[in-house]
Amino acid sequence: MSDAPNGGAVQPPASPLPEASSKTPSQAEGDAKNANAEGAEGAPKLSGAELKKRAKADKAAKRAAAKATEAPLEPKGLAPKEAQQQQKGSKQPPKDDKSRPLPLRRRPSNPTVPPAKEHKVQPKKEKKQTGLFFGHLYSQPRQHSIVGATKDVHPAVLALGLQYSSYVICGSTARMVAMLLAFKAVIESYQTPVGTSLARHLTSHHLSPQIDYLRSCRSLSISMGNAIRWLKDLIIKIDPSTPEAEAKRDLIMEIDNFIRERVTVADQLISEAAIKKIESGDVILTYGSSSIVEQSLLKAHSNDIPFSVIVVDSKPLYEGKRLARNLAKHGIKVRYFLISGAAHAVKDASKVLLGAHAMMSNGRLYSRVGTALVSMLAKSQSLPVLVLCESVKFTERVALDSIVGNEIAPAEELLSETERQALLPFKPKPDGKAEGETEGSADTSKEVLQWIEGAQNLQILQVLYDVTPAEYITMVITEYGSLPPSSVPVVHRLSTNI
Amino acid sequence: MVTGAVVTAPGLSSYLKSLKSTPVEPSVEHLISLLKRRQIRNSRPCAVATLALLSRVVGEFKGRDAAKLVERIRQIGRRLTSAQPREVVVGNIIRRVLGLVREVVEDNVEAVTEATSDAGQSHPAHHDSLHRPQLISSISTFSPLKHASAEPMDSSSHYSENMSDSGEMSKRPPLLTSHTSYAPTSTAPLVNSLFGLFSHPDTPSASNTPTGVQPPDGKGTLTSLNLERLADSSHSRFDLKGEVMNGIQEIQDELEQTDDSIADNALHHIHSNEIILTHTASSTVQKFLLAAARKRKFTVVHVETHPHDHTATHSILLTGKKRDAEDDEEDSWKPLRSAGIQVVMIPDSHVYAIMSQVNKVILATHTVLANGALVAASGARMIASAAKAHQTPVVVVSGLYKLSPVYPFDIDELIEYGDAGSVVPYEDGDFVDLVDVENPLYDYVPADLVDLYITNLGGHAPSYLYRIVADHYRTEDINL
Repeated sequence: MSDAPNGGAVQPPASPLPEASSKTPSQAEGDAKNANAEGAEGAPKLSGAELKKRAKADKAAKRAAAKATEAPLEPKGLAPKEAQQQQKGSKQPPKDDKSRPLPLRRRPSNPTVPPAKEHKVQPKKEKKQTGLFFGHLYSQPRQHSIVGATKDVHPAVLALGLQYSSYVICGSTARMVAMLLAFKAVIESYQTPVGTSLARHLTSHHLSPQIDYLRSCRSLSISMGNAIRWLKDLIIKIDPSTPEAEAKRDLIMEIDNFIRERVTVADQLISEAAIKKIESGDVILTYGSSSIVEQSLLKAHSNDIPFSVIVVDSKPLYEGKRLARNLAKHGIKVRYFLISGAAHAVKDASKVLLGAHAMMSNGRLYSRVGTALVSMLAKSQSLPVLVLCESVKFTERVALDSIVGNEIAPAEELLSETERQALLPFKPKPDGKAEGETEGSADTSKEVLQWIEGAQNLQILQVLYDVTPAEYITMVITEYGSLPPSSVPVVHRLSTNI
Repeated sequence: MVTGAVVTAPGLSSYLKSLKSTPVEPSVEHLISLLKRRQIRNSRPCAVATLALLSRVVGEFKGRDAAKLVERIRQIGRRLTSAQPREVVVGNIIRRVLGLVREVVEDNVEAVTEATSDAGQSHPAHHDSLHRPQLISSISTFSPLKHASAEPMDSSSHYSENMSDSGEMSKRPPLLTSHTSYAPTSTAPLVNSLFGLFSHPDTPSASNTPTGVQPPDGKGTLTSLNLERLADSSHSRFDLKGEVMNGIQEIQDELEQTDDSIADNALHHIHSNEIILTHTASSTVQKFLLAAARKRKFTVVHVETHPHDHTATHSILLTGKKRDAEDDEEDSWKPLRSAGIQVVMIPDSHVYAIMSQVNKVILATHTVLANGALVAASGARMIASAAKAHQTPVVVVSGLYKLSPVYPFDIDELIEYGDAGSVVPYEDGDFVDLVDVENPLYDYVPADLVDLYITNLGGHAPSYLYRIVADHYRTEDINL
């Protein structure tokens, strides 16, 4: 099926969106179905370029389908398939996700705002000057549903994608572990088609759609990228003569080993190194929430080191809240600041412990947006800034600023429900409407959102990460030991060459 | 100022309204309680309320003794500042008015000395007139102007304003009406002094000092000068009050025009296609940027200042209004975005990430201190530090009335802490129980993080601020 039978689905990569939107919903739906049908037939040989083409077509169809869902007249063809898919997704929660306690984070923005709305406003927003600084990052809106996902995507991965996009699973390590666990399920249920070998088929044809789907939900974290690279490498190296069952068993075992070696044991080593740095009477400042920082602090507390913690947090994810609550429940004295009070928080602190999303090869720290501010303020107070980071999060990528590589978060997540409510009185009443309109909270918040969306020349910008210069970082603690940020590339080479 | 709007919550406008009908002493108490309850907060409302109260106090003041007037204002000042020590502006205004009274007294002494060429006058409150620009005192011989404007250009504009006072009246009716209404007892002498300054019939030295009739009350009552001019003493009492009222009026005008005169500088500091970062909902900054937007196109990055000022920030960006309900003309203007300026709103955490793209940081302030440091909405410190790290210039726009002679010996004293409920809502009960939630409202920004101050007098280096302080406040008033 190397050539897609209908030309509509395969589009030139330059302008996928306008064409998709010009289609009628039913036509677009047809495309989506066709694409799915192709996937089902599973023609054995697809070149990389063709795959890419197909992925593009899928995406376009996906978007069109999403549009179709919110169109008043829903095309008949869609309903059964969608229902079926949703059923699938809900019926099979990722079995293995629970095996490791994953940090649960509430998504702060209003869940009652339907995801369909986002798709509706997207074209309009793109006409507006999107992203003064991050224009290059506004490529594709984040996927918030399983509508339009290709049939190849495993249910565990579907569910995981939704957990990614709603920040239920959040954090570089947690996302990577969850992905690997989902991939275990994928591999378990995988069967090599006749006429090909597992080593050849699994990565390119079976894992790739899963990864693409996950990427459409939220862009991959650097640790996920590292893990995927490792996994692909592993699969390719499997001897074609190995029986399938054995190969699968080996793979699953390897994944378990990887998680144990690179995450679980690494975390133990790091936290042991970290608690040596915590002295009695210290005031440890941390920003946001990092599982490894939390682990270290709890361990230090159980070692009877008297210290207190200052958690600095920021909108809109409020990740630090969970950390603060958890630490306080264990009896640690916790103070909680928002980032605007960081200058005050830093004054009282004696050490800063930070988690990482990734360590760049030029020694810079890529982490939750705001980390750079906290470490800058800490540096100006001459506080030691310690970064706890597993080596799996090291990357050969380099970055000078936070602009080039970053992840855009949807703007509407910034304003919480109460903030939208507070803004409502300011909204100028349309002349025709009377004062007496008192709608439900969902309506009002939607109204405010639309108002802000529609506001000319106003744009809300939200990214997820920033880059902290190496000079603000005193030490990086990894499972290989404690090192200065300049040693990151060395450790990265060390850890990938093993 | 006195609009027909129905304001339910007590605040500035209801206070100004009540001021007309309430006697002085309850008004003082009222203001104290409003300040304590934080129902009047932020610099400008505090300044306006204090000044209105003082003009009432001066209007009601009976007697000819300037020392008594000084003592009276001082005593009220002490009570007000102790009610809310962190609203430094209240103290600033008190000191300005005190300085005004002293100036009035001094100038008359000077004038008389000149007129009678009596060199034997030594005056206690005569500390730095030598260092002051002489040009000013020669242009604006009626002294209150000296306080409102230390720059020759400015003072001449004030001068002309007062010359065409009737024109001013039509331009700014609220101030004048309220002004007269604050001081019903002194209406006649005030009007007399406003309109008849230059045609005072019984001034002995009317040629160069129109108001030279006034003796230095309370200080030099027994000098030969006073004995000479005993006949004029009945007028002189009116003139002390009148001139002080006049000076208060000048300060009120200055308060009103602060934003505009700061905005006049905008084009000198903002060029085309610049990217400017600012924070909080400040009318001074918004007007500054708007003034530049008339000629130039640039981009504004607005930090939302969560958790205490974000609603105002959002609404100022969307509508140009800080608060709803209050329909002050003063308080609403065209939002930047409808002036064709691209506005990007970012959460506080993004400051460092964005700073590399920013050309200039413009900060609003709560108070400017004598050492060039400032107290501003929390988040200002990290913005300024991030700007320093990126070598981005930091410009602070501030009215002169925010400039305080206070030297920050204890920084923490200046920082106010706000409602923790706006950080973590109280519905989140167990969290609030377990964790110490803190919400500092202000940040202290040291002087070395600031590159430039723009006040209504123009631009100054932070290191020069002490000089402006010296120009506007008397050393003897620094401790109230």
